[in-house]
Amino acid sequence: MQPTSTMNEEFLKKWQMGLQMFRPSIDNASVSERKRAIKLSADVAMASLRKGTTCWSRALIQKTATEDNFLVRQMLSGIKEETLINKKLPKVMCHRKIVRRSKKILMRRKSRSAMEEVAAKAKKLVKRKTQGLRNVVPGGEFMSNNVLLIQETLDYIVSLQTQVNVMRSIVDAAEAGIER
Amino acid sequence: MDLSGGFGARSGGGVPFREVTALESLHLGGGDEFRRMVPPENAGGFTALLELPPTQAVELLHSSSSSSPSQPTLHSLGTLAFPSNSVLMERAARFSVIATEQHNQNGNVSGETTTTSSVPSNERIKTEPAETETCDQAAVEEQNNRCGGKRKDFDKKVKSSTKKKNKSSEESEKLPYVHVRARRGQATDSHSLAERARREKINARMKLLQELVPGCDKIQGTALVLDEIINHVQSLQRQVEMLSMRLASVNPRIDFNLDTILASENGSLMDGNFNGTAMQLAWPHQVMETEQSYHHRQLQQPPPQQWPFDGLNQPVWGREEDQDLGNDHNSLMVGAANLHPNQVKMEL
Repeated sequence: MQPTSTMNEEFLKKWQMGLQMFRPSIDNASVSERKRAIKLSADVAMASLRKGTTCWSRALIQKTATEDNFLVRQMLSGIKEETLINKKLPKVMCHRKIVRRSKKILMRRKSRSAMEEVAAKAKKLVKRKTQGLRNVVPGGEFMSNNVLLIQETLDYIVSLQTQVNVMRSIVDAAEAGIER
Repeated sequence: MDLSGGFGARSGGGVPFREVTALESLHLGGGDEFRRMVPPENAGGFTALLELPPTQAVELLHSSSSSSPSQPTLHSLGTLAFPSNSVLMERAARFSVIATEQHNQNGNVSGETTTTSSVPSNERIKTEPAETETCDQAAVEEQNNRCGGKRKDFDKKVKSSTKKKNKSSEESEKLPYVHVRARRGQATDSHSLAERARREKINARMKLLQELVPGCDKIQGTALVLDEIINHVQSLQRQVEMLSMRLASVNPRIDFNLDTILASENGSLMDGNFNGTAMQLAWPHQVMETEQSYHHRQLQQPPPQQWPFDGLNQPVWGREEDQDLGNDHNSLMVGAANLHPNQVKMEL
């Protein structure tokens, strides 16, 4: 599924709304502050498109809420922002050290055979990659199973694509305008 | 019958595919000769068959479809001249004997027999092809797990060849519950069934992801696909950073209405070929429209879609334009803002 034009429009509207929060201060601020404002409002806009249905969107909103609570509240006004911002994250991260140690002990006890080792190595590789994916996708650590993770990744990629498309067209227009 | 088509397509390939699994099992069962014959990266049974002279392979397929389902392996292999014929025949005989004896333990034969034997009617016909295919796949998987070696290749090849299966499995997932038929000789406890359903779900989703991420179709293997996905997501995130940096570094101008710029930009994107002059003419039109919509509406409610994606046929613009522009203080930082007053000046 590729980003649709309605998604583009909605993202743009929400992004604009967020950018307007910065309106009074934006002209004097430095480049990095402007960039931060742009990025934060774009992220919240992208996440609010999903209206809290997906895990990554909630995690992303909570992440930006730690950076700029006021902005998030304004942008999400009316869409259950209280629950989204204050909600505790659903799952506690498992203590990986403990799990790893116990697995090592188990592995030592178990007898090994050639085919099992290869299968085990392949599984380890896949596990490592899924862990990498969890690190990249916002809120990945809190997705309990792989099915959910892949679903969320799918949605996240589509939303990222819309964000990139819209931002790129704006930037192109802006830079074209400058040259003229 | 086209070989590759026969392997790839699912519709007519039910029985021949089972033959292939039988062959694969034989191959796996200890076929060192086969392994030597086959190039190392293609340890799959499919390609093993493809290595054979095409006539023999076709004969295999034809004979398997014609022969009775209960004793496929012996018949089919008898008609072929394998390079290491005698050894394989032996193994085939041994294996099929064992298979017929141990109905309850051998997943491979059970896979064959269940699908070919008459089964109680499943109200979800769609799950039936899903089942047959997944049972073959699971049969192959079992063989893989049991016999070791380069089995992941098998798995992935089987998965990649079943496109129809994924569609049907996806459709079945939308139902409140899936009628999963337990295979004969397969453990019927809820754990393995649930596990199988989970595996199918994951594979279906991975297929979707592969289609979404460019360049993932060719890759075999979960780990590499996941690698590609991670790279794609990271590149998208980096692009967002770059674009926001570029946007921020553009000089901010006042009296800019982001709506208009993007509106016409998107309009131009939609229309494709866009004349520069036409765009300049159009922008004042857009200005009036969207500004009015802005002022007259709440920000929460989305303004009606008067704008821009349907092109530049906008109503007349007159004196009001100046006033609107003056009133508009949506000062957002994109630099194309200075275009805006310039254009207007040109028109005036």
